[in-house]
Amino acid sequence: MISNPDKTAIKDKQSFFQWFKYKWSSDPLFSIAIALIIMIILQTLVLGFDYDSFGSWFQAWINNWINILRNNAATAIVALGMTFVIMTGGIDLAVGSTLVVTGALSMMLLDTGTKGFLLAMGISGAPAFVITILVVLLFGYLLGSLIGVSITKGKVPPFIATLGAMMIFRSVTQHFMQGYNPKVPSEFLQIASFKIGSFMIMPIIYWAIIAIILYYVSKRTTFGRQIIAVGSNERAAKLSGIHVEKVKLRVYALMGLLVSIAAIIQVSRIGSMDFSNAGRGMEMDAIAAAVVGGTNMMGGRGFILGTVYGMLIIAVMNNLLNLFGVPPFLREAFKGVIVIAAVLLQKKEKTS
Amino acid sequence: MIEMRNIKKSFGSNDVIKDVSFTLKNGEICALLGENGAGKSTLMNILGGIHQMDSGAILVNGKEAAFHTPKQSQQVGIAFIHQELNLINDLPIYENMFLGRELKTKRGSLDLERMLQETEKIFKQMDVNLDPAMMVRDLDASYKQIVEICRAMMTNASFIIMDEPTTSLTDQEIERVFKMMKTLSEHDVGIIFISHKLNEVMQICDRYIVLRDGNLVAEGNVHEVNTNDLARFMVGHDVRTERLNREKQIGKEILRVEGLSNSRFFRDISFSIKEGEIVGFTGLLGDGRSELFQSIFGAEDITTGKIYLNEKEVKITSTQQAIKEGIAYVPRNRKENAIIKDMDIIENASIVTWPHFSKKGTINRQKHKEMFAEQRKALRIKMGELTDSITSLSGGNQQKVILAKWLAAKPKLLILDNPTQGVDVGAKEDIYDIILKLAEENIAIIVLSSEANEIIRICDRALVMYHGVIQGEVAGEEMNEHEIMRLATGGQRASDKGGIDRNDIKSG
Repeated sequence: MISNPDKTAIKDKQSFFQWFKYKWSSDPLFSIAIALIIMIILQTLVLGFDYDSFGSWFQAWINNWINILRNNAATAIVALGMTFVIMTGGIDLAVGSTLVVTGALSMMLLDTGTKGFLLAMGISGAPAFVITILVVLLFGYLLGSLIGVSITKGKVPPFIATLGAMMIFRSVTQHFMQGYNPKVPSEFLQIASFKIGSFMIMPIIYWAIIAIILYYVSKRTTFGRQIIAVGSNERAAKLSGIHVEKVKLRVYALMGLLVSIAAIIQVSRIGSMDFSNAGRGMEMDAIAAAVVGGTNMMGGRGFILGTVYGMLIIAVMNNLLNLFGVPPFLREAFKGVIVIAAVLLQKKEKTS
Repeated sequence: MIEMRNIKKSFGSNDVIKDVSFTLKNGEICALLGENGAGKSTLMNILGGIHQMDSGAILVNGKEAAFHTPKQSQQVGIAFIHQELNLINDLPIYENMFLGRELKTKRGSLDLERMLQETEKIFKQMDVNLDPAMMVRDLDASYKQIVEICRAMMTNASFIIMDEPTTSLTDQEIERVFKMMKTLSEHDVGIIFISHKLNEVMQICDRYIVLRDGNLVAEGNVHEVNTNDLARFMVGHDVRTERLNREKQIGKEILRVEGLSNSRFFRDISFSIKEGEIVGFTGLLGDGRSELFQSIFGAEDITTGKIYLNEKEVKITSTQQAIKEGIAYVPRNRKENAIIKDMDIIENASIVTWPHFSKKGTINRQKHKEMFAEQRKALRIKMGELTDSITSLSGGNQQKVILAKWLAAKPKLLILDNPTQGVDVGAKEDIYDIILKLAEENIAIIVLSSEANEIIRICDRALVMYHGVIQGEVAGEEMNEHEIMRLATGGQRASDKGGIDRNDIKSG
């Protein structure tokens, strides 16, 4: 069993059907990409062609897309980090609560009212923004590291450690932010709302940049490949000289960092945050995107690109349901169907 | 009485059992002996209904029986106590006794009371002093064996197969199991006792049969032979033991360990190895050699003792540190310990050196490809594309890829744990060649193997372990299968009068 018969076949005869069949069975992202393309075609059809000119149709189509992408950018960034976490065989349930803590911190720092932390120190404008962003990123990184330490050093199972963190972070935030409504300076909102041409696409750009960086990390760096080794066979990874604990710790820290970026995007989009509801269910959406994108919940296998596809599939489906006029409470059910269907679809692959 | 007549069994083209016949009488304890791969387990699995024989007949009390499932075997009164015990740790003894055939009340709930009483009854009958309400988790390994035996007796077993029951037991626990076996034989139960420990066979068994390469090569009464005879039967005289030669250039000392102990697996281990030397470590299952070298490699803990590398004392606490110090460890059980199935061949072959050749965290793929291209030729790895899955390779080629990843790290000390496990004959010879060549390149090599033949063929000298201690060292003419088997089963060295002096072993 040295050469793959399918592979030689594809070199000899370039029939489309054979190429398709080979790609379908050998490339785990192929079926996901096909599913996404079908969804996009469907969505385009549903949007309709009832426009005066091609230009106005295209305008509507693009605007619809920008809306979809922008609305999902924060969760999508979290989903990228979640992919790494799941690839190590772990899980992070605390992302929604981490979002709220880091979001609250950024608002406290920026507050233009009397309690404003940076304002009280006489810092405002651009320097205040820079300081806020750096402090919030660092804080997110530390919270992630804290979770990572409890998992690696404390040997607490990831599910339990992050379940605990989820409860603690949100509860503490809600308590301390009770009756306090910080006002974020309107200039800060430019971070998410700055227009390029006539398009408000900054969150999409952040998502794209982070996706490209993490794609590179997962494919080309020692850290990225060690994640796969640890998740696929922890014992073998250890016996190959990989510092398993360090890899896991860094993955959770990275997760915290990405969540804090998502928090800044969220705060700068609307200038406020609902501390009791923001980020609720975010962990499940992130996990769903990763799973639809082909990430194995048992660890070892995962694709950054797949998670981007997965996020898009779920987002486009939501948009479709919206266009179809499906009642909001029923939409969640469709999401559930998609997640299970995606895993069933991937089952066909070798299990050995 | 059980009679097995002209049993034959093959797996594919591999004849595992070639025409074996024997009988077991009631009330008799019969030892089944043989080296690893001699066919012991296969023969017993046929009797236990796990495998089907290709031809032959099994007669139980004169009546012909054919077993297609373990259940059918149990129904005629044969119980198979496996090495991995079949008990649920989190249930009390009496519930374990009725696992799968629970007693129910009229209303359909579990009749715990009656199960408890029945268990007490059988314990009394078998003279077992044990509280049936205890959790199985709280029992030591010998009592777990006893619970399994009592469970078998409850189903009216008249023949019991015990597969290496004493491997993981302490001396005291072994006594307990032996007492149980005596009681069983008094109850007219026939026992087949599979063991590697010849002293135990001498102590407990009435009769012995010896398998070698699927043939029954010897049988008789235990009191007519001694352990030396048994070891000779197991090994045979016709085994190929030609030693592979190489240009020997022994250099300076690479590794020395003194009084190394770990709380569970090994104690007071001292030895040393020099550049260009090939030293074997052998013994039977559970001798602690794998754990010993995993500890030296930093993957397990060491309680006491000292490790010297190049005459300098080091404390190795992690595998990364061990690699930095120039140690490489090719583990046993490739699938569990070495293969990363979600990665392709080139990645599996380069994982150890990723940090070494990376620039700012980015893996230098070109460098690894160049290195692997050389190794692929040198190690004669047969494979397709570099990006094919590691699982697409045969066992031998997988093992060579694992070797390649360690050679890329340029080790000074190479530890090979069962290097030819699950490897076909051709690849085996290849691996021997590679080992000899590496020794010529001045690498110090330690080979861990349970195959005495392998040790004899490639090693300069061998240390034999028994129950976590070094039982003796053999070299030259003394390094033969007979002597190794004797030490591995707990015997003393022929030339050692009055025990072993560990300082002798250390100086090697």
